[in-house]
Amino acid sequence: MPPPVARRRRPAEPMGLPGLEFAAAVFTDPTVIGLIIVGTLVGVVVGALPGLSSSMAVALLLPFSLYLDPIPSIAFLAALYCAGTFGGSITAILINAPGAPPAAATAFDGYPMAQKGEAGRALGTATIASVTGGTISVLVLLFAAPLLARVAYSFGPPEYFALAVLGLSMLATISGEARLKNLIGGCLGLLIATIGIDLTTGVDRFTFGVPELLDGIHFIPVLIGLFAVTELLTQAQHLGRKTSVVTLAALKLPSLADIRGVFATILRSSGIGTFIGILPAEGSTVAAMIGYNEAKRWSKRPEDFGKGAIDGVAGPEAANNAATGGAMVPTLALGIPGSATAAVILGGLQVQGLRPGPFLFEEQPALLYGIFFAMLFANALFLVIGLIGAKVFSRLSLVPPALLWPSVLVLCFVGAYGLEQSMVDVWVMVAAGILGLALKRYGFAAAPIVMGLVLGGLVETSLAQSMIIFDQQWSGFLGRPIALVFFVLAIGGIAGAPALRALRAMRGR
Amino acid sequence: MFEATGREPMVRGRVSALKRLVETLGLLTCAAVLVGAVHAQERFPSGPIDIVTHASPGGGTDTTARTLLIGAREALGTDIAVIPRTGGGGIVAMSYVANRPRDGHTVLAITPTHLFAIARGQGPLTIDDLVPVARATDDPLVITVRSDSGIDDIEDLIALGRERPIKWGSTQVGSIDHVAGAVFAQVAGTELAVVPFAGGGEIVTNLMGGSIDAAALNLTEALQQIERGEFSALAVMAGERIEALPDTPTTVELGYDATFSTVRGYVVLRGTDEASIEILEQGLLAAMDHPSYLAYLDGAGLSRSAVAGREAWGEQLEQLYGDARQAMIDLGIIQP
Repeated sequence: MPPPVARRRRPAEPMGLPGLEFAAAVFTDPTVIGLIIVGTLVGVVVGALPGLSSSMAVALLLPFSLYLDPIPSIAFLAALYCAGTFGGSITAILINAPGAPPAAATAFDGYPMAQKGEAGRALGTATIASVTGGTISVLVLLFAAPLLARVAYSFGPPEYFALAVLGLSMLATISGEARLKNLIGGCLGLLIATIGIDLTTGVDRFTFGVPELLDGIHFIPVLIGLFAVTELLTQAQHLGRKTSVVTLAALKLPSLADIRGVFATILRSSGIGTFIGILPAEGSTVAAMIGYNEAKRWSKRPEDFGKGAIDGVAGPEAANNAATGGAMVPTLALGIPGSATAAVILGGLQVQGLRPGPFLFEEQPALLYGIFFAMLFANALFLVIGLIGAKVFSRLSLVPPALLWPSVLVLCFVGAYGLEQSMVDVWVMVAAGILGLALKRYGFAAAPIVMGLVLGGLVETSLAQSMIIFDQQWSGFLGRPIALVFFVLAIGGIAGAPALRALRAMRGR
Repeated sequence: MFEATGREPMVRGRVSALKRLVETLGLLTCAAVLVGAVHAQERFPSGPIDIVTHASPGGGTDTTARTLLIGAREALGTDIAVIPRTGGGGIVAMSYVANRPRDGHTVLAITPTHLFAIARGQGPLTIDDLVPVARATDDPLVITVRSDSGIDDIEDLIALGRERPIKWGSTQVGSIDHVAGAVFAQVAGTELAVVPFAGGGEIVTNLMGGSIDAAALNLTEALQQIERGEFSALAVMAGERIEALPDTPTTVELGYDATFSTVRGYVVLRGTDEASIEILEQGLLAAMDHPSYLAYLDGAGLSRSAVAGREAWGEQLEQLYGDARQAMIDLGIIQP
């Protein structure tokens, strides 16, 4: 029986001082700078539009990048990747339609903030959190990629299962006070996640003979339906009865005090995001969920979450952008993609005749540092774009609902259809919207459903894989220390507060 | 003659006069041959061409197709797009293509995974519907273990498998590496416990981390780690040794008749006009001779010899389908 934890055969080579000498190659070449700016702008737009994802954009642009040299071409794709993850937050906050799955958690509190007339504050916070998360993760990539990449090896199915359990442990308390309803919502999400071919048995479930469902339900149509279409239907009921109270204050950016207040959350989420990003099987969507959960768990006022808490925006945004740098760690250092978009960038490297992996660090330092500095530059750029844009974009919340929401509906349909040019996705979106309205009316929140949906596939698959690896013995988990730490955290999260209260009550007597 | 030059593809950028001359001459020859055949035929391609894949962005099939685009656009003088129709082991992609007009403007990227699906009777197509156009890559499967696993050769692995089931990493049920593992286990008389993962990258990390004992990895997925000394290649699942791993025996040499390779190629559906297929074949072959495609093959560790025209590809397609059917029969999945 092989030892369950990764054994390092040989120590990874220390990288020495990061190659500042290569930075000049990036920052003095106007073509590279121009490409990074274009990549960042395209990324923000593509990220913001529901149905267009950064992985799709990177894949579409891959053949064109062939006309360029390796450094500009990969710098371009990497900048697009960084900015695309950030872009998703804009539509999530303004119109409750997450532009990409990683931004789903941003909508939980970002949209309520916009409704309260704090769109600018939410967008500004999202920008600063994204840039901080992205920058920290790139710095980590710069200093420790070959060492950290090894973390990926110590994460097998049991560790993923424990991570997913930790995420789901917040299910009951993720939103509002209706714990039972949250649990029911979470189960509904898990149930939706079972649609499609089961990975471990190859049996298709709940597909009703529709071939498009074999691969499972796509996240984007469900998210658009559950958030934006539900909101539209809700708004439609109030139309004409409620006047808009949103004022020009909506354009105000976050204050320094705001940023100081969320700084701890940003740092925590950056760490979480970088770490989860490094894991090859998981990307920014799970990172954002866990980032949101932890922001709530550590908050002094968790009851504000879901009603427009500024930490609820900073938490997921820092985490999902940190996951982009994290995802590049195994991509470059091991040649194993850390996310769907990183997989396409990996393809881009291969198309250039390069073979990503341990050798790349020895043979192509100029290229690697070119990518690092391009990503840093892209982060700095969307700080500017984001803060200026926040003032501009937030005007959207001043548009009267009667004009805004019909336009949003058009965008929803285009987005759902555009994903794979499939009408099935459009019907899924419509169904999710109607379901969302019904659930909202009876006091169910969207957050637990989304969480069940995001973590459902992971929790089921990783458990099934773990049980095969452990010869169907549950005791196998006892031999996996990393998994045990996650289980303890999960139990602490559920039982910690009641236990403390009980302890205090006993002492008080 | 004027009509023939009208067929000339768009030449972009600064192409040397010589190259242009050669291209024009080539096309004139081509046109001369085709003049009879295309007589009453519409000009092909008369619009954009779609390459339909079953793989999500970043996978081997997707990257192969996208790398082709530049050269193919030049050679065919039309816009070409990759259309991903993911899911169901190629069934979604095949259903999509089955509903498109059979005029050569829709090209299907085929892998053994599609052939397994067809052999199982899934999806709307049969093997007779597929008309070969060109072969793109040949990525053999390699039985791989961790170097410090104590398993030094295939006999060690088989001995382990007779003690307890080998924990065998594989992509989804019914995929080529799953079938490869099952067939190998059958001919070697050993037991497998198949652990399915979503993709090759996850298998590599889990093999490295020790959660699984062995896997049949594509050469492109395993080569880095093998060169690095982290993985040992026990056997190449092929009839002949391969360039990249000259010292690794093949399964056939070792006496186990289990050969599997992820061969990717392009087909159109039966009913497509013969002249269009010929233009398409020439266009795709030219595209795969383009420096960008060759750089990709080299970068990924793939052999350049995989690129082949429709005759060689057609023969192999037939043989691959026969193998796929036989594997399904041997495993008791379908009746002969």
